[in-house]
Amino acid sequence: MILERLILSEVRNYESLDWMPSARLNVIVGANAQGKSNLLEAIALLGTGKSFRTSASGEVVRQSAAVATIFGEARQTASSARVRLGCRITLGSRSVRKTYTVNGHAARYAGYLGRMRVVSFVPGHLQLVTGPPSLRRALLNAALAQDSAPYYAALAAYERALTQKGALLRDAAPLDEALLAVYNERLVETGGRLMLARRAFTVELEERARTAYRSFAGASDGWLGLAYVPNIAFELPTDAGVQSAFRAQLQLLGAAERSRRAALCGPHRDDLRFTLGGEALAAYGSQGQQRTAVLAVKVAEFGFLEARSGDAPILLLDDVLSELDSERRLAFLQALGGYGQAFISSTGPLEVPDAAVYRVRAATLDQVA
Amino acid sequence: MLNRPRAEAQSLADAIIAVKDRVRLCSRCFSLTEEDPCLICTDVRRDATVLCVVAEAKDIYALERTSAFRGRYHVLGGLISPMDGIGPAQLRVKELIDRVAREGPREVLIATNPNAEGEATALYLSRLISPSGVSVTRLAYGLPIGGDLDYADEVTLAKALEGRRAL
Ligand SMILES: Nc1ncnc2c1ncn2[C@@H]1O[C@H](COP(=O)(O)OP(=O)(O)OP(=O)(O)O)[C@@H](O)[C@H]1O
Ligand SMILES: [Mg+2]
Ligand SMILES: [Zn+2]
Repeated sequence: MILERLILSEVRNYESLDWMPSARLNVIVGANAQGKSNLLEAIALLGTGKSFRTSASGEVVRQSAAVATIFGEARQTASSARVRLGCRITLGSRSVRKTYTVNGHAARYAGYLGRMRVVSFVPGHLQLVTGPPSLRRALLNAALAQDSAPYYAALAAYERALTQKGALLRDAAPLDEALLAVYNERLVETGGRLMLARRAFTVELEERARTAYRSFAGASDGWLGLAYVPNIAFELPTDAGVQSAFRAQLQLLGAAERSRRAALCGPHRDDLRFTLGGEALAAYGSQGQQRTAVLAVKVAEFGFLEARSGDAPILLLDDVLSELDSERRLAFLQALGGYGQAFISSTGPLEVPDAAVYRVRAATLDQVA
Repeated sequence: MLNRPRAEAQSLADAIIAVKDRVRLCSRCFSLTEEDPCLICTDVRRDATVLCVVAEAKDIYALERTSAFRGRYHVLGGLISPMDGIGPAQLRVKELIDRVAREGPREVLIATNPNAEGEATALYLSRLISPSGVSVTRLAYGLPIGGDLDYADEVTLAKALEGRRAL
């Protein structure tokens, strides 16, 4: 995908912006707090409807404004098919509303997501190996939801049923068993789909990541391993297999869920495990090895989305290249060799070849190279 | 409003009060009515063997506009959503169960929205009603008529495929 034009109105510190970025590398440089991350965040929002920085979308609306609009024209690299996307965030008196358009028609989120795929890489992702499991689940969801609308639908339905089940367990006395059974059945049906998709995805991700890791680190480090660790273990990777495992676990934990008044099992507790030469990377790996693994996974995520859609996703690198030593930086960019369009932000000058360089100051962009 | 004659404001106010006085809930189906029971509940030409469950009274008007449904209705008064403090007890679920036992319909058609809460409410009602042997049905999901296959999202399309029928 190539973003040919980006129009912002009242987004973060951008009152308005109309920008035609380069189809290849765009390096955004500038001092702190000028609007580098805000610009990349807007592109992520345009592609995914989600910010990589906050789950409170209202923060994106410029202070003292009520509506933020992000509009973009993108083109498929190979077919040159074009799509116009619009994402609007409206502050209500109590809630924040997000609405979408595709080619000028109002669209539901499920019909919007995936039209302009992006892979974002921000400093928080560098904790992927050692940080909390939620980071690793976010990686699974970011790639899979963009790849597959049914995955996103299952995820949204699962999370909703989980919230409802939690509220039921917490607040209802006496507990309505029939209603609990309804939510459990929704969790099994939608959660089962998540588990199967995550399992298949992890197999592919591991293969791509280990190749990338080897290209960064050479053979001396041993193979990188990446395994899906479902909260509910299952033998048979079929709908029937995961569903019966899930039901059995709900049965087993039924009493505990009732007494602790919380949902205790399901893919909302899934994890990924990294190994290097068979050893747990989080426990035994050096910081350098952990970081290299993260880069490898990002390359793998990128490769996965590219292979699935036949088109390179847009790459958003917010401040991460400057966190890497120059050797890793070059290796990383090389591994993404076939990448299409990329947006890279940095406070200092970055040495990357063939880039269009923009200086951002107080939300205005000037091309400097 | 402030620039209009006082009489005009008075008559508007009277009209609002009259509506408030006259319109009430039908004691059988809980839709809005001026006469209790409502015109649908007392219409003998309507099919008493099919009972359609809706979340709100306004859903009845949508279904009535189609002229395609000839049975009777039951208004729940919302959808089950524990996170919003709405359980079966806050809705007219008990009234529905009593009604099904009393009136003995052949079929209960659940016409809640195809969103998460509509779906959960339908499944819940089905669990309560099905054991009595009454057939419980759900509105089919489909593509908007006049819509483009191209524009339908995959999820709607998948649901429409699941609900396909023989021609
Ligand atoms: N909703 C908003 N309305 C107006 N300004 C905002 C809003 N949200 C953030 N800002 C401003 O945007 C600026 C931060 O921009 P951004 O995060 O893009 O900085 P940056 O250029 O990436 O800086 P750094 O190098 O420190 O990461 C801050 O000055 C902040 O006050
Ligand atoms: Mg920044
Ligand atoms: Zn009535």
